[in-house]
Amino acid sequence: MTRAALLAAAVITYVSVAWAVAPGFYDGFAPQQPYNWVCPPFHVAGNLAPSSGHLDIKVIGGVSDANSAFTDDGQVVVGFLPGAFDVSGKTSIAVDIKPVDPCPKPAGLTFVTNAYLITADAPLVKPANLVLRYSDVVPAPSTVYYAADAAGPWTSIGAGSEAQPFTINTRTSKFGYFAAGYPAGRVSSGGIRGQILPIAVALLIVGVLLAGIPLAILRRRQAAPPDDEGPGEPEP
Amino acid sequence: MRAGVIAAYVLLAEWTRALFSSAPHAAAPVLVLGGVALAMTAIGWGPARMGLGTSHMALRIVGGCALAVVLLLPAATRAGAAPLLPLWLALPAVVVSIGEEIAFRGALYGALEDLGGAPLAVLGSTALWTAAHALSHPPEFLLAVAAAGLLLAIWRWACNDLVAPIIGHVFADLAL
Repeated sequence: MTRAALLAAAVITYVSVAWAVAPGFYDGFAPQQPYNWVCPPFHVAGNLAPSSGHLDIKVIGGVSDANSAFTDDGQVVVGFLPGAFDVSGKTSIAVDIKPVDPCPKPAGLTFVTNAYLITADAPLVKPANLVLRYSDVVPAPSTVYYAADAAGPWTSIGAGSEAQPFTINTRTSKFGYFAAGYPAGRVSSGGIRGQILPIAVALLIVGVLLAGIPLAILRRRQAAPPDDEGPGEPEP
Repeated sequence: MRAGVIAAYVLLAEWTRALFSSAPHAAAPVLVLGGVALAMTAIGWGPARMGLGTSHMALRIVGGCALAVVLLLPAATRAGAAPLLPLWLALPAVVVSIGEEIAFRGALYGALEDLGGAPLAVLGSTALWTAAHALSHPPEFLLAVAAAGLLLAIWRWACNDLVAPIIGHVFADLAL
């Protein structure tokens, strides 16, 4: 009885504690730094404003140097190859990354990252690699969207293989507005659940009840055999 | 002595995994290697001593599903408020969750129980489990990690069973 009571107390403690932080327990397959939102989801508390980023890329011998621009909070990284820019008449290239406020909310799309305006004072002649980090408290995005104006139209520019957990990357040959997300009304393709998790948990509950109750009744009816593992035999 | 060595080893394995899994394209292999490294703590322990006996297996499996329900309940009741594990991390997640259970609620629990009985085993394995996740979780999540560790350790003690914690942990890691 004491064991059952302690187990029940542990269950209540866990659910209470885990409820206070979305999503509760997870095993942390990637170092999870809280995402800094322009428009935080309703369940996010203690949000910090997202950072901007600036980079001056040197032009050496008429060729722009390889370098990466990133925001100070690491939520956006843009990598440039050597000679990525048209450097006519320039000695350096300035690249700026700024979170967009107010948040764009295009019809038919769900953004799960901030939208960022990425600009440079020279056009690209080679594609740049863009990496957006997304939060661990939202569904994973399926693609990166681009727009020349914050008001849209937003178009998908695809996504490459995931180099790190909770990041999405793509390549772009022009600057403008970028955000990661997925078409509204669809389950994100980036994860194994979304709407699936509540259904899976409900099925597990049904399974536990259907299997557990008969097993418990059966066990009570049978004389308990000597335990081969010591005093604490399974009593789920 | 044995408890100290196991504790140091699992902390080292977990912190190494957390530090290296963020390297580009390293997450999956690092997770698998980390899980295998943790599972190696089972060497020298008999299955029954680890809570891995075969009696009442149906109840253990059902218990594991029940633990999974509890672990996932906060996330499931807030659809869209949970991280989504990318599909390519599914197998590494299974390996890590099995390795962690073997290390924390198996070998470490057993060594601490030999040292100071069930209370030390439950509290000690929970404390080390929480410390092991300190590098991979923001501080505000560590209380939930500790509560999950406590739940799994109490199950291990109350039912003398590691099968259910493994099943519950695998389900939780596959989902989150």
